[in-house]
Amino acid sequence: MSYDDVEIEDMEWNEEIQAFTYPCPCGDLFQITKEDLQLGEEIARCPSCSLYITVIYNLEDFDRSNEGKGVEPASSHPISVA
Amino acid sequence: MKAAAETVEKEEVYVWGWGAGTEGQIGMEIMEDQHSPQPLDISRAIAAQTHDDSNIDDEVAATTSSAPSLLPCSSSENPTHSVFVSFLACGGAHTIALTNTGKVLTWGRGTHGQLGHGHPTSCWKPRILKILSNFVISCVSAGWNHSGFLTDGGCLLTCGDGSFGQLGHGNYQSLFSPTEVSFFAAKYIKKIAFGMRHSLVLVKGPSGTSVYSFGSGRRGQLGIHLEGTSRLFSLPQFIFALENETIDDIFCNGDHSAALSIYGELYLWGRDFNSKINYNLPLKLPTHLKFLQVALGWNHALVLTDNGELFMIGGNHHGKLCALNEVGKNQEATASPWQHANLNDDSFSSLKRISAPDWEKIVHIGAGSEHSALVTESGVIMTWGWGEHGQLGLGNINDQTIPQVVSLNQMKTCTVKVHCGSGFTFALKIH
Repeated sequence: MSYDDVEIEDMEWNEEIQAFTYPCPCGDLFQITKEDLQLGEEIARCPSCSLYITVIYNLEDFDRSNEGKGVEPASSHPISVA
Repeated sequence: MKAAAETVEKEEVYVWGWGAGTEGQIGMEIMEDQHSPQPLDISRAIAAQTHDDSNIDDEVAATTSSAPSLLPCSSSENPTHSVFVSFLACGGAHTIALTNTGKVLTWGRGTHGQLGHGHPTSCWKPRILKILSNFVISCVSAGWNHSGFLTDGGCLLTCGDGSFGQLGHGNYQSLFSPTEVSFFAAKYIKKIAFGMRHSLVLVKGPSGTSVYSFGSGRRGQLGIHLEGTSRLFSLPQFIFALENETIDDIFCNGDHSAALSIYGELYLWGRDFNSKINYNLPLKLPTHLKFLQVALGWNHALVLTDNGELFMIGGNHHGKLCALNEVGKNQEATASPWQHANLNDDSFSSLKRISAPDWEKIVHIGAGSEHSALVTESGVIMTWGWGEHGQLGLGNINDQTIPQVVSLNQMKTCTVKVHCGSGFTFALKIH
């Protein structure tokens, strides 16, 4: 079963891996790509362990036809790079 | 923690680490998970690096705007043979070690600058934070990806991920080197505690204590009234609800916060354990038990009483994560600890008693995101909870619902402490 339900607003956009992420209790990150979200996928998996979370989001926000309209999660902070 | 540096002087300390290791967080040369306790020779790292400045070319000494509040270390360092680790703070995937001399070493994930070495890179090897060499550090804390260092003059420096305002500098920038939080320049800070995306600070003043919070308040973890739509606070916020309490210690992990009063009263706020409810303001646990220690996980809390009795709050899935994954059971509904406010101690059903063999007294506790550790009066270390990364140190990756003894050469005369990161564990032996 899903470890947790997480709203997309609580996930962070990670430029490096091109995915929305959320902390996994193992220390790694649950990850889901924008493409996955556009396909209606709601499971974000951790590459390091067996756990996964259910992502709560509106499919319309990620609909390809809406692309370019500036729909982004509120807390999507860019990752600083030196 | 506060007295650690004084009480362990001139004694030898051994550090053992186990659990998730792929980010270098347990300080092992091989960056893999370790399912059994592995010795970590930090003394050697200290000795090797104390007179070797070759690896700090890119570091500059930390400077602060309020020099009078900072007490620089005396110019003559203690001999390295008497320098040892007295405390470990473990975050999402990085570790901060504090020595008896007030020096700091960091290792593990450094992608957001949380190791404090001036650049966003990871490091598996315990490395002295020479940027703080002018300070005597008395307290350290590690959040998911951010770090805090408290000087013996009560001044706070932070670094790492600042995306949620959790560094307290009034912006959302990440910092690669420890930088003084100027908000507290005129205040004496006694204790700090960092969670996933927020931070707590305990200030001691002439008229009592004050608790401040900053970072994300999405789950109520800042303990403040939330008005408007903003849930991120990059400047410290005073927690009015604790204004009239004398707070002795503060705790953070995940989206949870806790405070202990000098009378052993426990206040909890933030995300509820095992439910979707958020508690924006601190609530006193309605019990007559007196608590001495608290350890928070992501879905559970451990609380130790003055009688050496241990209780768990929440933690419905503690030690059952993998099993639930396999069979796909439905999540059980859980009662919030605060729904029993009218009940007396005996029927306080959400406080679940955790016992050691023969009801031996428990003297120290630690909690990772989904695992727990305890130390009994005779120095036996026991662990339970999620074990997929070997974080229980039992030689396998099984989950455990009840405490199991960790095979570490038990030495009855030594003092043992346990410190847990998200998916890893350290045991600190002082004998």
